[in-house]
Amino acid sequence: MSREKAAAPRRSIDWSDVHRRLEQVRHAVENDGTPDAQETARILAARAQALATPKLAESDGETIDVIEFLLSGERYGMGFTYVREVFPLLDLTRLPCTPPFVLGIVNVRGEIVSVVDLRKFFDLPENGLGDLNKVIVLHSTAMTFGILADSVAGVRTVPRSELQPSLPTLTGLRERYLLGVTGDPMVILDAAKLLADPRLVIDESVAP
Amino acid sequence: MEKNDEAFRKRLLATFRNEAAEHVQALSSGLIALEKTAAPEERQGIVETVFRETHSLKGAARAVGKGEIETLCQSMESFFSLLKQGKASLSAGQFDLLNETVDVLSALLGSVEEAPTKAQLAAVRELRQRLSGNGPRNTEAPAPVVRNDIPPDAQAPPSPSPPEDTAGVAIGPTMGKTLPDPPPLRGGDTVRVPVARLDAILFQSESLLAAKLTAHQRVMDIRAAQSDVIALARQRARIAPEARALLRRLERREPGNRRKGDTRLRRLLEYLQQEDDFIKTHAMRLEALAKAAEHDWRSLGSTADGLLDDVKMALMLPISSIAEVLPKFVRDGSRSQGKDVDFRIRGAETEIDRRILEDLRDPLIHLVRNSLDHGIEKPETRLAAGKPRRGLIELSASQIEGGRIEIVIADDGAGIPLDKVRDVAHRLQLAPPSGNGDAGSTALDDAACLELIFQSGVSTSPIVTDLSGRGLGLTIVREKVERLGGSVSVGASPAGGTRFRLVLPLTLATFRGVHVRCGEREFIFPSAHLTQVARVARQAIATVENRETIPLNGQALSLARLAQVLDIPADKAQARTESVQLVVAGTAENRIAFQVDEVLGEQEVLVKGLGRQLRRVRNIAGATVLGNGRVVPILHVPDLLKSARHAAPSPEPATDADAARKSLLVAEDSITSRLLLKGILETAGYNVKTAVDGLDAYTQLRTEPFDLLVSDVDMPRMNGFDLTAKVRADKALADLPVVLVTALSSRADLERGAEAGANAYIVKGSFDQSNLLTAIRRLL
Repeated sequence: MSREKAAAPRRSIDWSDVHRRLEQVRHAVENDGTPDAQETARILAARAQALATPKLAESDGETIDVIEFLLSGERYGMGFTYVREVFPLLDLTRLPCTPPFVLGIVNVRGEIVSVVDLRKFFDLPENGLGDLNKVIVLHSTAMTFGILADSVAGVRTVPRSELQPSLPTLTGLRERYLLGVTGDPMVILDAAKLLADPRLVIDESVAP
Repeated sequence: MEKNDEAFRKRLLATFRNEAAEHVQALSSGLIALEKTAAPEERQGIVETVFRETHSLKGAARAVGKGEIETLCQSMESFFSLLKQGKASLSAGQFDLLNETVDVLSALLGSVEEAPTKAQLAAVRELRQRLSGNGPRNTEAPAPVVRNDIPPDAQAPPSPSPPEDTAGVAIGPTMGKTLPDPPPLRGGDTVRVPVARLDAILFQSESLLAAKLTAHQRVMDIRAAQSDVIALARQRARIAPEARALLRRLERREPGNRRKGDTRLRRLLEYLQQEDDFIKTHAMRLEALAKAAEHDWRSLGSTADGLLDDVKMALMLPISSIAEVLPKFVRDGSRSQGKDVDFRIRGAETEIDRRILEDLRDPLIHLVRNSLDHGIEKPETRLAAGKPRRGLIELSASQIEGGRIEIVIADDGAGIPLDKVRDVAHRLQLAPPSGNGDAGSTALDDAACLELIFQSGVSTSPIVTDLSGRGLGLTIVREKVERLGGSVSVGASPAGGTRFRLVLPLTLATFRGVHVRCGEREFIFPSAHLTQVARVARQAIATVENRETIPLNGQALSLARLAQVLDIPADKAQARTESVQLVVAGTAENRIAFQVDEVLGEQEVLVKGLGRQLRRVRNIAGATVLGNGRVVPILHVPDLLKSARHAAPSPEPATDADAARKSLLVAEDSITSRLLLKGILETAGYNVKTAVDGLDAYTQLRTEPFDLLVSDVDMPRMNGFDLTAKVRADKALADLPVVLVTALSSRADLERGAEAGANAYIVKGSFDQSNLLTAIRRLL
């Protein structure tokens, strides 16, 4: 009785599937786990094919490699070609007489790199208390700076066709640097545009 | 696969561009030299060189499929080969043509990644036609005697004409210098290394200096530990005789007379004796360790210093590497202004740090431009004044005492019209009018007057030409040179013209700086800009015309608070001290005493730029990396002096009921959250200290009284739960209110926090400063 009751919720067992899997296992055990010559050749050929297929890069227009990061609970992506390095923010020197979006400067192996808080630059409401302890260093031939992120999720390839132009929630400055939004959603920013923007450059001296 | 081809082509083009730029530079220098050289055999040599350069450039262009460059080189090559065959000489027009060709080549190279524009192709076509149509014909007749009256800048129809240069002028041995010597070390002896890679090596070598300082700190730490152990050993030595006596008494006691605790006591005493030996051994081991660490420190130090010196040497470049653009610059400039100017470089082989050299390019070009534009007169004027019609600008570089480089740019032009400078200065209200009443007392003397030309807005040029005259240039020159740790001065050259003298460090040198603290920030004042560091009684501050002043050495100096000038929070505790710490900056009557919270010391610092995003920040000249790896901004004193004068006069910030303020400790490992929390709480009126993790917080809690603890949960070494538990277990701290701030928001975490003894729990995801402040207010 009790056994029947226990089995009751699992009534929908696909017996044919179980048989098929058992058969597979039996086959594998009999062959000592090694696929036969034909199967081996097929697998190797498929593998070679996969390896030989060139990885599609950003430049071919179909996909874009982005570094994915979290900022204020939202997911962002940025073209990987512009990322020089990522490191945890351990020490930071704040600079007076700079706009709020310049968080400060850090020492990267002897080189001074400025760190930008995109939330402040984009004028985003600062809801929640982020960790903001990763720095993503962006660079082009003429510009280098770091941006702050709560965490870095990794690199992924996004097909351009998947990108939507915008979301109604994306307002203000952010829209200007928008490359597109994925379905997830992840906001992909145009790193080249950010790097080339004179608004991010500080060049001021005290009037006489 | 196409993509790979594209990438390969890009790399190829980049390589080509670098190589081609060198050829074009050599070509350009060669043409300038050729134009100035009269001796036929020398000319022949130069023609050979430019021919070779053109040929190499042609080959390189063909290899990367830049047809337009190749064909243009082809035409020029034929032109030169004709020149080579005979004793051909070139007319001014032909030189112009060749120079024009070089300009077009440079333009083509500038956009080598793209296909040439229609305009560029048209220019190439036109130049090719002109090159083939105007080739040098062999002038069989010997060159006629040169006359002085041929206008050098006449755009004469290109025709074979005698060299317009006078044979006697400007063919000094220095002339040869502008012609690049054939590279002596092509082959296995030199290696091309990308500059970026060299820079990376330099950065890393510099960071070894930090390692050196750290190693020294280790030595000190070990020595401190050693002295502790020695102190312990001494104390033990004092009680050792008593322990021994006690032990002996125990041993002498009759077996029957023994008491209950005797065995235990004896064991304890024996243990103490063993421990004495143990402590002695440890003291010796620490001694050995300290010696070894000292040795390591010394050898690391000498290796690091040696390496850094070598790397710096590897980054030295001769002055010629930037000066070689100048001859062409002078040539083009003098032509367009109808002037006749010779340019010489002396000491072009003098070497200087590449980083300095890079920043020197603009100032040098500016100074030469200045001489060209304002110094050298038109030929007629010169002849009328009894000077040779051809003006001279000379750049000479040499190493002077103290490992410094002197660069002098002198011309034999009209010099700086001091009366005009005085007028302009008067107009700008920089100085009293000249010749106004009492002589001497108000009018500027000549030296001070010359100094004025470095002020922005002072230009004596009545018209703004496209070259100069905006009155900003020399200010920028001074600023750039001073930022490199150098100085610039101006005077009259022996030939009656103007003479600018730049003195620069050989390598991007360290300089001495005074390390100060202001609130929580630290800054470096370059010692060169300071006249004094002093501490004066707070009562001595007097208010004169709504401005605070302070008497120092019998003079009243304006007082400015550094925190206020920089607009940063000041140390509030400092406002209660009886004396104030001052750093006096500026010169003469331009001095200002800056009040800082603490002077931490004077030390060697190495200036670094603030990165490419921060080109120029108000009041900040750069940054330096201290021995402990921390980055400290270096103050820009001229800016500070200006800012201090702008700053609204305001009295000492009110010291509100400071003593009654509650003090809070914030423990948070993320630096940004730490700063944010601190900011919020300070704005709310609390005294806030911070800790980087649980252990740090616990140590601080035990050494200083706090009214409340705000702690993150997820921290290294000791997390927030453990910290809370530890606080609750500590008798002295058991009643301390604890607020946990965390990213963890599950019910289980909440319970864990409560279990550990937290009074409030705030979730980061929904963090809102009013929540935090309400919670804190409730608890205090």
